[in-house]
Amino acid sequence: MKLLSRIPKASNRNQELGLLILVSVVVAGAYTLATLGVTASVPADIIPFLVLMFLLFAAAHVTMRRLAPRADGTLLPVAILLNGIGYVFIARLDADKAAPQATWSALAVIAFFATLYFLRSVRDLQKYRYSLAFIGLILLIAPAFLGTEINGAKNWLQLGPFSFQPSEVAKICLAVFFTSYVIEKRELLATATRKLGPLMVPDLKHFIPLLGCWLIAISVVAFENDLGTALLVFCLLITVLYVGTGRAIYLILGGILVFVGGLLAFTQFGHVQTRVNIWLHPFADADGRGYQLVQSLFAMASGGITGSGLGLGEPTKIPIVYADFIFAAISEELGLLGGTVILTSYVLFVGIGLRIAMRANNQFEKLLAAGLTAIIGLQSFIIIAGVIRVIPLTGITLPWVSYGGSSLITNYVLLALLLRISDSEQKEEDELREREVVAA
Amino acid sequence: MNSQIRKLGLFIVVLFLVLFVQMNNIQVFSAAALNNRPENSRRVVADFRAPRGSIIASDGVVLANSVPSNDQYKYQRQYPTGDLFGNVTGFFSFNYGAEGVERSYNDELVGKKLRLQSLDNLLADQNTTNDITLTLSNRLQSVAKEALGKYKGAVVAIDPKTGGILAMYSNPSYDPSLLASHDFPAVADAYPKLIKSTDKPALPRGYRERYVPGSTFKVVTASAAYEHKADLVRKRYPTMQALPLPNSGGRSLRNFGGETCGGSLPSLLRVSCNSGFGQMGIDLGATNMINQAEAFGFNSQPPIDMPSAAKSAFPNQNFFRGNVPGLALSAIGQQNVSATPLQMAMVAGGIANGGVVMTPHVMKEVRNRQGEVVVEEPIKTWRRATSSETASKMTDNMIQVSANGTATGARIPGIEVGAKTGTAETTENRINAWLISFAPAKDPKIAVAVILEDQVGNSDATGGRLAAPIAKQVMSTYLSEDIPKSTPKVKKKR
Repeated sequence: MKLLSRIPKASNRNQELGLLILVSVVVAGAYTLATLGVTASVPADIIPFLVLMFLLFAAAHVTMRRLAPRADGTLLPVAILLNGIGYVFIARLDADKAAPQATWSALAVIAFFATLYFLRSVRDLQKYRYSLAFIGLILLIAPAFLGTEINGAKNWLQLGPFSFQPSEVAKICLAVFFTSYVIEKRELLATATRKLGPLMVPDLKHFIPLLGCWLIAISVVAFENDLGTALLVFCLLITVLYVGTGRAIYLILGGILVFVGGLLAFTQFGHVQTRVNIWLHPFADADGRGYQLVQSLFAMASGGITGSGLGLGEPTKIPIVYADFIFAAISEELGLLGGTVILTSYVLFVGIGLRIAMRANNQFEKLLAAGLTAIIGLQSFIIIAGVIRVIPLTGITLPWVSYGGSSLITNYVLLALLLRISDSEQKEEDELREREVVAA
Repeated sequence: MNSQIRKLGLFIVVLFLVLFVQMNNIQVFSAAALNNRPENSRRVVADFRAPRGSIIASDGVVLANSVPSNDQYKYQRQYPTGDLFGNVTGFFSFNYGAEGVERSYNDELVGKKLRLQSLDNLLADQNTTNDITLTLSNRLQSVAKEALGKYKGAVVAIDPKTGGILAMYSNPSYDPSLLASHDFPAVADAYPKLIKSTDKPALPRGYRERYVPGSTFKVVTASAAYEHKADLVRKRYPTMQALPLPNSGGRSLRNFGGETCGGSLPSLLRVSCNSGFGQMGIDLGATNMINQAEAFGFNSQPPIDMPSAAKSAFPNQNFFRGNVPGLALSAIGQQNVSATPLQMAMVAGGIANGGVVMTPHVMKEVRNRQGEVVVEEPIKTWRRATSSETASKMTDNMIQVSANGTATGARIPGIEVGAKTGTAETTENRINAWLISFAPAKDPKIAVAVILEDQVGNSDATGGRLAAPIAKQVMSTYLSEDIPKSTPKVKKKR
């Protein structure tokens, strides 16, 4: 039986290759259609970048074969699909951004390779938890002092000709820190010693980090106007605390803090109030502050179920559509069906990520995998929900799809971490089996 | 930890389900509403560059068409009849969207969108626009305009048997070409002037402006007596100069010009007796009055195929509670009663058509490029206002009004005409002059409402003297000349 259930080493990679070929066909087809629609002929000068994109996909796959051969074979293709569709849309929306986005993708794949190459075991990261916490905090706070404001949020750092969003990098650093912290203090955090009304709760001092994180999140909102990052980081901590300890009190307390923080931000900060008002009454100032959201809704409505067709819609009516609002552009041109493909991709990613988490043997890796996966799930929810008016809009990128270098690089590193965890657990399982086989 | 991870997964799936629901809401359920929002310029831009069908009068005169232009928009919309049909066709403007038939039949005029732009050459004829023929004729509309002359007001003529609008002119009017120009700054200059002008040339008075209907509303009150309290029809109302109003601090309801009048319903209607009808309203009570007004279409938006038709209004129960004077005043169409000219044309048309009010409409047919009719005239019953017996009695009564009552000015030699005048006081010595009529009374082909705003006068004869000749001219032209008729479908009435 054991022998029968044993999976050949190469099967995950072959599956991955098959899926990647499928994804490439989809992306190439989409690209051709997009260029047909916009200009009625494929602009020759940006074809090389498409070729570059395919080379990158291939590079990522080869990296996997060499460095993490036993890892899950479906996660990379999902990310590549999102990256590919995002690239096609960015090229279609603003041809000048095709070259930079391809370049950023190249750097991201290099970062992906580097992560897998240098990090042979994710648990090694635990050693650097305080350094990472420090870096994450600095990255989160630095823009308030050194940052430049781009499109309304002061969450950018300008380095020579490059601008980058440190908050994107911060989220991984903080995920690692939160995870090591919870794993280290797990017993204490989970032991209920005090009585609070009908509830038994852990010692109050264990809530201090939660409160600290909350204060930092509030200040990120106050000084950088970066609601999305604040919400994401805080939700990440709640998630890690809850998953790590199994105590519902963290969910309850976290929920209350999110509510109080939201209320505080709404009453104290004009820019937050503005966003909430736009969300509640987008048509009240449809030509002014509500313009972007209103145009996004019009774009999606005009797309309907099947969409206008790639390159045949008018998504460029939405200001800065290639960044936060790219989902509206996809929904307009590919319709409800296309939007659903994007949603499904994220749900798939979350499913695969959580499966990796569940199968991990090491507690740290298990919790980190869950946390990293939650980042992707929550982040994509926060931005899509903002674009389609489920929650107030928060400026945050759509992972792998939106234009932007820091976001792409970070998300490829995150992907590499998940795949490294997946590879380790499979390796341990295989070794265990081999031992059993030998023993038998 | 695995059980928490499962819950986390479930939670994220729920979040995404919320997203999926909202996407369906935006892209499927609310899509039409979003696409049609006035702030949404997407559709206009697309439509503006597309070919567009023509709007044609029932007698073949082109009212709106698109001709090739040499600029980036490819087509220029033009309105050959100038201001004659301005408030019917409406306009089709890049800056300000569309109005009138241009708006309500936009989908038909634009036709099916061709999505596959890159396959242009494979399609022989990609023009899928449709032409709209209206039930209105250029001839009758011109007569209505001429007859109105300098009077500010409106004429609405309707075919009582089909509900087809035969003429609908609002004076003053405007030339939609002003707004269809590709010289956008000039359009942006012209539009606010048009909207702000005190004469309201861009207001389609026929279906969007409400006036106090005055004595024309007595047709509704009289119908209520036949329908709901038949003994009032036989009641002899005392002859008096003014009806003292109870609980009003000694106010009374005067007859116009200090005249005395009284008698039974037909003679009250013939001379338009305020004191008699005021008392009749009190005798009928609020419920009967409200029911009858609503049976004619008051308090409902008429289902006409034009954008934003105004509701005509009759007060509700609360208004009448402990307010007997209000009941008397409402019964003679004063105070809080207001009606569009279209509504009053439908009151006349309803009586003429055996008590049945037809759905009003301006579209006679929609034809495609190949000349095939793709949409037929929407001839439908809107509501039953009265029984056919009541309608027949009211027809006789209204014939008497034109034969030897206040509406003698509407008489047409050799043709029986049913009519009712109205003189609604607006301010001291200023009135709105009304006439509603239909002919031939026993086989009605046309019903007309005429309203002249803000005239000098204080007698009930004024409405008849000013408005009746206009209605007469429109009716007699329609009956004597060879104007294409709205064609009732052969359908058995039940």
